[in-house]
Amino acid sequence: MLEALKAIKEKHLEAKRIIDEANAEADKIIQEAAQQGLREYEIAYKTTIAQAEQKAIDEKRKMAEEAERELGKLLCEAEEQAKEVELKASKNFDKAVDAVFEMVLQ
Amino acid sequence: MMESTRAITEMILQEAQKSAEVIIQEAKKTAEDSLTKQRKLGVQRATEEAQSLSKKAQRESEINKLRSMANAKTKANWFILSKKEKIIDNVIEAVENKILTLTESNEYRFILEKLIKDGGVILGGSDLEVLLNEKDSTLPLKLDKLAKEISEKTGVKTRLRLLEEKIEVIGGAMVRRINGEVILDNTFDDILRRRERDLRSEIAKILF
Repeated sequence: MLEALKAIKEKHLEAKRIIDEANAEADKIIQEAAQQGLREYEIAYKTTIAQAEQKAIDEKRKMAEEAERELGKLLCEAEEQAKEVELKASKNFDKAVDAVFEMVLQ
Repeated sequence: MMESTRAITEMILQEAQKSAEVIIQEAKKTAEDSLTKQRKLGVQRATEEAQSLSKKAQRESEINKLRSMANAKTKANWFILSKKEKIIDNVIEAVENKILTLTESNEYRFILEKLIKDGGVILGGSDLEVLLNEKDSTLPLKLDKLAKEISEKTGVKTRLRLLEEKIEVIGGAMVRRINGEVILDNTFDDILRRRERDLRSEIAKILF
């Protein structure tokens, strides 16, 4: 009987050691996870920010290209308008010269 | 060892093993949850900043676009305006050439006489001096007749004297009191200069 109790006590001690080891292992896993978590946080943060920055650069480039196109259009329109001005003026040029000439002589 | 004792000790160990496995599994799950949570937090914080980054970039792009469009519009307007100004300059130049041609004609003498007379009347008559350019000084102007006409208009006895001094102008005359205090500039050059703003405005109305 005594021998049996002794054996049970030993196994209890062994069981306790197994549980303690498991707890220590669990603590280690959680601790490592906490450190890894900080790294994961940084990686996720930096990756997302980098993507957002790239998106912002792309948007800026797109807007600049759009502005460039509109500028070209505007300058083309100005040149067209200038040609129209010159054409209209050439038709009325002599009339203007005569009118001013008369004004000067008056 | 008795069979029953063996069974008890094995059961104790098995239970311990099971518990250990559960502890490890729980720890692994907690660790995985923690990693997932940290990843989410990282993305969440970055997303908030990314939104403000994107808004800032958009705002800057719009400002840049508006600025360059405003510059381009100013340039375009200036471009058209400078074309118009150039054409107006060409008209003025053509008028000057036409005046130059007029000074070669026979009728010019009468126009010049009228300019002298008008100047004399505005000055109120009396002793007046006339300044002309080199070429006009050779014209057979009837200064006495003009002086008489000025006297009649002003009621002041008038004398006109052509000065030796010559002026550098296209045509027309400068009339001044003998003391040189009051000068009436009726040269075409001065008329063009004096009335430039009106003339340019009139030209613009006709041309455009």
